[in-house]
Parts: sequence; structure tokens; C-alpha cells
Amino acid sequence: MLPILSLIVLIPILFSAVTFFTKTKEQARISALVGTLITLVLTMYMYFSFDSTSAAMQFEEAANWIPSLGITYHLGVDGVSMPLILLNAIVIPLLIIYTWNDVRAAPNRFYALILAMQGAVIGVFISLDFFLFYVFWELTLVPLFFMVNIWGGAKKKHAAIKFFIYTHVASLVMLLGIFGLYYNAWSLNGVPNMDMAYLIGQFQFLESEIARDAIFLALLFGFIVKTPVVPFHSWLPDAYSEAPTAGSVLFILLKIGGYGLFRVMLPMLPFTATPSLMITIMGALGAISIIYGAFLALAQKDLKRMIAYSSISHMGYVTLGAAGLVSLSISGAMFQQFSHGLIMSIMFMSCGVIQTKTGTSIINNLGGLAQKMPKLTVIMVLGFMASLGLPGLTGFIAEFLVLTFSFINVPIYVMIALLAIVITAAYHLWALQRAMFGPFNEKLGDIVDISSFQTFSMGIIALLVLYFGLNPSPVLDMMITNSEHIVSLMAVMGV
Amino acid sequence: MAMENLAFLIPLLPALAFVLTFFLGKKLPSGGAIIPIIAIAISCVISLSITAGLLANPEHVVTQSVHWFAILNLGILIDPLAAVMLSMVSFVSLLIHIYAVGYMSHDPAKPRYFAETALFTAAMLGLILSDNILQLFVCWELVGLSSYLLIGFWFHKPGAASAAKKAFLTTRIGDVMFLAGIVLLFADIFAILEGKLPEGVYLLQFEEIFKFIPDLVAINSTILGMEVSHLTIVTLLFFGGAVGKSGQFPLHVWLPDAMEGPTTVSALIHAATMVTAGVYLVARTFPMFLAAPGTLMVVAMLGAFTALFAATMGIVMNDLKRVLAFSTISQLGYMVLGLGLGAVIGAEAVGVSMFHLINHAFFKALLFLCAGSVIHAVGTHDMRQLGGVGKVMPITFATMTAAALALAGFGIPGTSIGFSGFLSKDPIIEYAYLFATETGNWMPYLFAITAAFLTSLYIFRLIFMTFTGKPRSDYGGHESPSSMTIPLATLGVFAVIFGALTRGTFMEFIKSNFEHLDMNALAELGGYHISAHHGAEPILILWMPLIVAVAGLVIAYLIYNKRVIDMSRIVSSENPVYKLLYNRYYQHQIFVEIFSVKIIYEGLALASFYSDKMLDWLVNGTSTFLIEAGDSLRKFQTGVIQDYAAAVVAGVGLLVILVKLIMEVF
Amino acid sequence: MIPLNWYLALSAIVFSIGLYGLMTHKNGIRMLMCVELMLNSANINLVAFSSYNDDMTGQVFALFSIALAAAEAAIGFAILMSIYRMRDMIDVDKLNILRW
Repeated sequence: MLPILSLIVLIPILFSAVTFFTKTKEQARISALVGTLITLVLTMYMYFSFDSTSAAMQFEEAANWIPSLGITYHLGVDGVSMPLILLNAIVIPLLIIYTWNDVRAAPNRFYALILAMQGAVIGVFISLDFFLFYVFWELTLVPLFFMVNIWGGAKKKHAAIKFFIYTHVASLVMLLGIFGLYYNAWSLNGVPNMDMAYLIGQFQFLESEIARDAIFLALLFGFIVKTPVVPFHSWLPDAYSEAPTAGSVLFILLKIGGYGLFRVMLPMLPFTATPSLMITIMGALGAISIIYGAFLALAQKDLKRMIAYSSISHMGYVTLGAAGLVSLSISGAMFQQFSHGLIMSIMFMSCGVIQTKTGTSIINNLGGLAQKMPKLTVIMVLGFMASLGLPGLTGFIAEFLVLTFSFINVPIYVMIALLAIVITAAYHLWALQRAMFGPFNEKLGDIVDISSFQTFSMGIIALLVLYFGLNPSPVLDMMITNSEHIVSLMAVMGV
Repeated sequence: MAMENLAFLIPLLPALAFVLTFFLGKKLPSGGAIIPIIAIAISCVISLSITAGLLANPEHVVTQSVHWFAILNLGILIDPLAAVMLSMVSFVSLLIHIYAVGYMSHDPAKPRYFAETALFTAAMLGLILSDNILQLFVCWELVGLSSYLLIGFWFHKPGAASAAKKAFLTTRIGDVMFLAGIVLLFADIFAILEGKLPEGVYLLQFEEIFKFIPDLVAINSTILGMEVSHLTIVTLLFFGGAVGKSGQFPLHVWLPDAMEGPTTVSALIHAATMVTAGVYLVARTFPMFLAAPGTLMVVAMLGAFTALFAATMGIVMNDLKRVLAFSTISQLGYMVLGLGLGAVIGAEAVGVSMFHLINHAFFKALLFLCAGSVIHAVGTHDMRQLGGVGKVMPITFATMTAAALALAGFGIPGTSIGFSGFLSKDPIIEYAYLFATETGNWMPYLFAITAAFLTSLYIFRLIFMTFTGKPRSDYGGHESPSSMTIPLATLGVFAVIFGALTRGTFMEFIKSNFEHLDMNALAELGGYHISAHHGAEPILILWMPLIVAVAGLVIAYLIYNKRVIDMSRIVSSENPVYKLLYNRYYQHQIFVEIFSVKIIYEGLALASFYSDKMLDWLVNGTSTFLIEAGDSLRKFQTGVIQDYAAAVVAGVGLLVILVKLIMEVF
Repeated sequence: MIPLNWYLALSAIVFSIGLYGLMTHKNGIRMLMCVELMLNSANINLVAFSSYNDDMTGQVFALFSIALAAAEAAIGFAILMSIYRMRDMIDVDKLNILRW
């Protein structure tokens, strides 16, 4: 049996190092593509031998690391992490193909960072030890920071520093929460142990109610800043819009905040001193993100910023669904993470193409691009429709599950979210109308359609959006298995 | 038997045609039109044969179901209600596709056109044969998408791009209500079952939902101090969806603008099929409406109001297609009114309303196609520039007149003789009278009869202005090719005789749809008293619809053909009534400027824009503060070694004193 | 045997001389020499306590600190030599280009 989980983390990191030392753009992109394709093959193998009817950890690997502190090298996947690993493994090779003919400084470093990012993100998803988890968690900051700082737009320095410090502070608060849990469990049982499942299980035995709430809130803060959730989102619009297209897509694939909600927060939620307050916090923040993000997206003049805000709005469904506390609402939230990764990749890639071809992403300076770029228009309309929640595409499945099943426990927040649906449709269609339709804006000069590399990578993602929209079961079933498991853990308390 | 097993092909074939035409259309003659035509023809044959089977044996309902995801399924339910809709949609769609080969022959984007109409047909057929509310919603949104794409077919025209967006957004408001209805319905069922979902049962199937009706009525919530049954809320939310899709007041504003699309699209989507989806939704879930206290009253009043409201605007429009658009809204109002009359006639209302729906589909599609034929030949929509077209286009003139007579409702009351529109509209008006006598609410009847007069007036105004008299501009028309006139003639035949031939059978057929449910018990839950005696109205009431129709015809003839009244005095910007009507009651201004743009966009969007700036300023402010603080604090680092040494000595001294003090205290 | 306090007094005096020199002089070499004095006063303490407690550890420490002092002096003089070559002076007050 191959140590497959170690491999899917190590291969991208190894190839990242190889890519870093290549001399030309050709070598760099080929090395990067080979690395990601090997990861993809391994992930597909893992996906097809994955048992989606079991909520247990699969492909587990465990070894002692620092025994005196109870730190282990413990890896595993289940239905919560598998779809997200799949998402990363599929989109990143396509991202490399998408950037195939781009001209930029230092391509070797660029591709090396993409690969390092892939390794770090997958590492977060498969770590079952808090120490390891935190190491990978912080590692994801590094490639993104350099991505924005080196290849970003006009305000790249500001955006990069802001992103780094903001999310790093949140991570430190989360680290405090982890330590609080770790030391309390240590003093309770007399043995140090950093294992995630163990510590989450020990949470309910902590005697101090204040300690339990404080630990919960500290962890929650770390996760929701990364998700992000209003009002802790202000790093996002700057970072997403200043990043190069590939960087924006990497940001989108960074689904670790929502992942933390499912992996860590939900099993702990019933054992906090005030579970109903915690549900209110999560539900309210989710609903506010949905509607506030939608209004902000409506007010944006820049296409890329509009997409960034729409991302905030969509991620609200993840928090709301998690607060729904019914297995299908939680599955819906998990599916939203998966679906959002695919849809936003199309949106940012479309926007990136427009930016490079026309030199602007201010919506009012565009116009009538559909006449010059028919292929882009087809893919982009599909992406926008998926984003506004059109049935038959992935976004709808997630939104429907979240809205329907969250209504059972948190009806008021669902009503708020329903109000946002029309606004969501409005900003998408309004942007499409102004940017793509109407008479062609002659000031933009001669514009050619997207290249075949770009058509290929965006087309594949578009097909996936369609496929999983029509047949969500291949990833949804494993999510349901695991969310039922989570709910059964919570049912003990009868929330 | 074999045909029933093929039922799943009805929506799948057009869907396949969409994919094929989209990718291969360019390489085929006439934009690949042949692919959707063949696909829809097969769908039509399957639908018709299933309908024939059902006619022989109405109990033999076709059901198929497969698991989709989570606790939801994809399924087919072809009962009499679905069967007649399927037959009508596939048949009309087939004729319009054939017609479009001629109509769109000069357009370079033909493959896209035929692909999108095939997609629409697939979604519409899928909507009709859904056996569960979610699948219906999915298809409901997909027809909305096709409508968006087709209204914006000529997307380079700013008007088309804007109309497409408006159509999508306005119907989206209804869709959200519909979705909210589903959400609430499901949450209530979940509560009724106490969270224990039974294995292997798809709770959103219509048959399953109907089983919960008594429990749903019993759940109450207090809204604004009123005790409201949850079933009433759910049905009103569903009806909200229908209001958006079927262009009822106040969400009808998108339909006239939707005429920016090709005329064939208007005929297919915005006259015959998609806009009736709302009516179909109410008919499909009619047992719920019947059991919901109060809902049917709202339905009846809104339908009657829309019928009249739209008809008043129809009489002043100068654009050929816009007159027809307002006519569609008005006729949809009749259908909705027909459903609302279930308050007094129970399940029969579905038959009445559906009969009008089917007849309307034939004659309104015909009207649009005739208008398209005129537009295709002369190149203008404006009736003021037309006149005398009847001489150059005799077939179009004949078929359009037949359709107009059907729309206006000519026929002999008390018999089955008359144009199809008469035979379906007349019962609605009669039952509205029954509604008035039973409930004492005369508004639906008065509105319906007034609208009937206006209907006759505006449609003959259109006929006389367009086809008779002398040409008012130099347009040089010609009769359309046979690919266009054959569908016209076919639809013309249907518009004239369909009603007379099928009336009795049709009503019986649809009535059998809900026979397995105890409709009287449901009506009791809803607090409706079903009246047993009808058909006993005074002779004046019986003849009234015909009288107003003839009156409309005569007045239109006198004004627009004989010109006994000089219209220029009335039609002027000074006349406040004319201005109000011509500007469509200023709804556009009211909706767009006051509601959407001013409040939503400028208000909330900008408010959140600035609040976000504030939030951002706070975040950036924190970092600026820290940098400034560091800037001042580092001045303590003088760089002079003696200062540091002094600080060390002072620190050690302080430490010694502290230690000394602590030692003394303890 | 000389009492321990005498050693401690000597050590304190030497330390104070060193401290005084360090705080009043600006010449780098003088300051370095003063630091040496302070170090040696510590050594006196170490050796005194070592002999008083009859424990060899203190003397070992003293040897360590002498070795360290030698190393420190070598590096310190090397730095001062380079500064002198660049600037023709070793006045530490003027060496403030890295400040702020």
C-alpha cells in the first residue's frame, strides 16, 4: 500500500523545488504541469477507491513525531476533506494550462509558488494532528503573499501585507485556542496529545464554562476570518482583486476556513456553555455576509472587485449551512465550498482574460465584448449563471440544500438570505449586460477571443460545474455520510 | 405501453437537440434547424399517443422516478393535466420551429437561435411532466434562462440586452417567492414528521405533498396580528412565483419589453408556453390552493384586475407586438381568474382555466406568427405606418382575422358553437357571475366583462389599422413563404375549431385528474362552499360576453376603418387619460426609478459601499496606528552606549530595591 | 584566611571602576578595557566563592569567562580597527548611522 496521502503533499512540494531551479519558462511550466498531473492521478486513484458510505478516516497514516509533546504525524481523509482535495487536484493543473502562454517575470518562481500552495492546502485538509494542521495552515500564507506581492496589480504591496497580517493575527488567535484546548486536556488526563479527534473529544470534559466558550470563540475567529465572514472580510477584496488571476484562483481554492468549521467547530458546538448563542453568531454572520456581500457587489465598478464581493456573499452560505445543524444543511454548506471553488475559478479566469485583452476591468469601460469573444461569452455566461444559483448548475444544489434545511433551525437568517437572491441575480446580470452585451465599445481596439489553452481549461471547469450540477451525488454522498456522522455526534446533546 | 416507457424521451430529445445544434449547427443547412424539428416532432408524437392512451383510460397515469441526490428524485408524472399541456407545448413548439426556418432565414446566428429554442422546449416539457415540486422549480428556472437568452438574442442592441435583464430579474422576484414556498413547505413537513424522514419516500412529490394538506392547514403563525395558516402562506408564495412567470400585476412589467426578441420567440415563449407555466403551477398544486383559506380569493381578484389593467393599456399601443403582449397579460389574467373561481366551483376551475390556456396558446401563437409574418414582409412594428396589408398578404390576413375573432370571443351563448376563445372565455365570465352571486364580490365579474369589451376593441383596432385601408407608408410587402404560411393555416384551423370539437371531452378529461383526491373535503378545509347549481344565470348575463365583443368590433370598425370619430383629438399628449395609458400608468417610472434604482441601488448598495469603506478604514487604521506608535517609541533607542549602560544600571538598581522590599514584606 | 567580604569588596570596587569608565569615556578602546575590568571583577567573585564553598565549579566558570573575555576582546578590537580605518577615529558617539 502506497503512503498516498504523504505523496499528494510531498509531490507538489518536491516539484515546487524542482520548478524553482528551472531556467526557462518552458521548463518551468512543464515541470509544474507534470507535478500537478501526478498529484491529480494519485487523487483520482484515491477518489475511486474511497468508500463514500463510511464516515471513518480512510488512507490513514500515523507515526510519532515529537512524543514528549504528544505530537504525531497523522494523516487521513474522510468525506469532509476528500471533495476539497479533489477540487484542488483538478483545478490547479487547469490553472497551469490556463497560464500557459502568459508572459510574466520569473516564471520559475511563479509556478513554484503555485505548486507549494497546492501542497500546503492539501496538507491542511489531510492533517489529523493540530500541530501539523497549524504548520500547513500557516504555510499557505507564504505562496499567496509572494503571489500578490510580486505579480499583483497597482496596490499589490498594500494588499499583500494586509492579507498576511490580518489572516496571520486570526491564525494566532486560533493557535491560542488550540493551546488552550491542548493544555486543558493535558492537565485533565496527564498526557500531552495534539491529535485533533482526541482534543475535540476532550473538549466536553473541560470543567470551566468560560474556558470552553473562550476556546470555541478563539477557534471560530481563526476559521471565519479565513472563510471569510463579514465583518472580518476586509482583507479579501484587496487581496483578491490585486492578485494576478492565478493568485485569485489560488485564493478561491483556499477553502480551509470553511473546512475548519466542519472539522473542528461543529463537533464542539453542542458542548459549549451557550450553544444557542454560538448558533446565533454563526447563523447571523452567515446571513449578513450573504446580503451585505451582495449589496457591495452591486455597488462595485470594477469587475474583479465585484467577483470578490460575490465570493463573500457565497461563502455566507457555508457559515449559514453549518449553523443549520441538520445533516443536509451541513452537506449543502460543504457542497457550496466545492461548487464555489469551481464557479469562482471560471469567473476569475474570465475576468483575467478580459483584463489582459482589454487592459481594464472597470465594467463601464467595457461593452459588447460578446461580439468579439463568443467563446469567452459562452463560458462566462455559464459561470455567471452558476454563480447566481441557476438550477442545473452546482451553485443551486448547494444553495437549495442550505436554504431548505437551515430553515428548520434558523428560519430568520434563511429569510434574510432569500432576500439576497434577487440582488445576486441583479449584479450578475447587470455586469454581464454592461460588459458583454450591447454595442461594442470601439475604444477597446482590436480584441481576439481566448486562446485554445484557455478555452480548454475554462471549458473543463464549466463542464464540471454542469456535471456536478446535474449529478451531485459523486461528491455529495460522501458529504452527507460525514455530516450525518457529525450530527449524530451532536445529537447526544440534543441541540 | 411502449410509448409510456418512452416518456422520459419527451424532454431529453430536445435537450439533446440543443447540444447537437449548439456545436454542429454551423455545419448544417439553415443553422441545423432540422435537428430540433425532428426531436420535437418525436416528442410530440410520444406526447400525443400518451394523451390518446389517457383519454381511453384516465386512470392509467404514467409515472417514472429515479433517485437524484440526497432525498430528492427526478420523475415523470403524466396525468390528464400534464398530458394536455405536453401535447399543446410540443405541437405549438414544433409549428413555431418550422415557421422559424423561414422567419430567421436571414439571421447569421441561426444555430444559436435553434439551440436556445430547443433548450427552451426541453425545459418547458420537463417542467410539465415533473412529478415533484423541486424538479418543477429547476425547469421553471431553466425556461427563465432560455427566455433571458432569447429575449437578448440580438444582444448587440442595447434595448434587447436591457429587456433580457429586466425579464430575468422581474421573474426572479417571483422565483424567490416560489423557492421560499418550497422551503417553508418542506420545513413544515419536516416538523410534522418530527424530523424523522421516512426511507425511500420522496417528500417533495406532488402526491406526497397532498397527503400532508390537512396537517399543513392546521399549522398557524401570527403575522401582523392575524392568524394565518401555513398552507395559505405556502400557496400564496407559490402564487407569487406564478405572478412573476405569468406576468400578473405587479410583476407583469417585463412582458411587454420582452418583445425585443425575435417574433417567433414571443410567439413560443411569451404567448403560448412559458408564460402559462405560472397558471400550470397553480393547476398542478390546485388541491393545496383549494384547501388553503383565503388564497383563491386573492388569486381571483388579482387575475381579474390584471385582465382589465392590461387590456386598458392594449388599446393605446401603436406597436403591433406590444398590443399582443398586453393582450397576453390580459388573457393570462383570465386564466388566473378561472383558477381563482375554484372558490365556488371547486376542481372544475382547473378544467375551465386549462381549456382557456390551451385555446389561448393556439390563437395567441397564431396572432404573433401573423404579426411576425407582417413584420418579416414589411420590416416595421409600427401600426401607424401600416395599413392595407391585407391586400398583399391574404393568407396572413385571413388567419389573423380568425385568431382575432377567437380572442375577442365570438360564438353563440348556450351552445357549443363558436370560436375556441369564446368557448373557453365564456365559462370563466359565467362562473365569475356565479362567484359574484355566491360571495357578493362583484369585482371579478365586472372587471372580466369590461376587459372582454376592451379585448375586442384593441384586437380589431389592430386588425383595421394594419390590414385595411390605404398604406400609410411605402413598405412594399409580399406574402410569406410556405414554411411560414403552413404553420399559420394549421394554427388557424385549431383556433377556429379546437374549442368546439373538444369542449366536453376536455372538461371531463381534466376533471378526472384530481378524482383520486377528495376535493370537497379539501374545499371544506379551505372554508369554500362549492356551489352545485350553475348554468342558471339570467339571459342578459348569458349573452353579455357576445354583446360586448360585438360592441368592441363595431366601435373599432367605426373609428379605425370608417373614421367617424377623429381620433387625433383623443390621441394627444394633452389628454391625461391617454397619457396615463400610453405611458403604461407610469409603472416603469414607478418601479425602476422609485423602487429598484433609487432604493435598492442608490440606497442600500451605496450605504453598504460606504460602510465597507469604514470597515476597511478601521482595519487600515489599526495598522497605521501601530506604525505611528512604533515610530515614536523607537526614539528611545538613542544609539549612545552610555545611555544604554545607564539604563542597565538603573534597571539593576530598581530590581535590587524591589527584591529588598519584597523580602521585607514576606 | 582572608574573610570573604574582602574579596567581595575588592570585586565591587573593580566593578564600579569599570562601570564608571564605561559610562564616562567615548573612546572605544577605553570602553572595551572597562568592560574587561567588569568581567574580571565577576571572576574575582567566582573564584572567591569557589574557594569559600570548596567547590571547583566556580573556578571552571572563571576560566570560561577568561576565555570568553579574550574572544570578545579580539572581536571588539577587530571591529574598532576597521572603524578606525574607515573613519580615522573610534569615538562611539559618532557611530550612529544605523540609528532609527
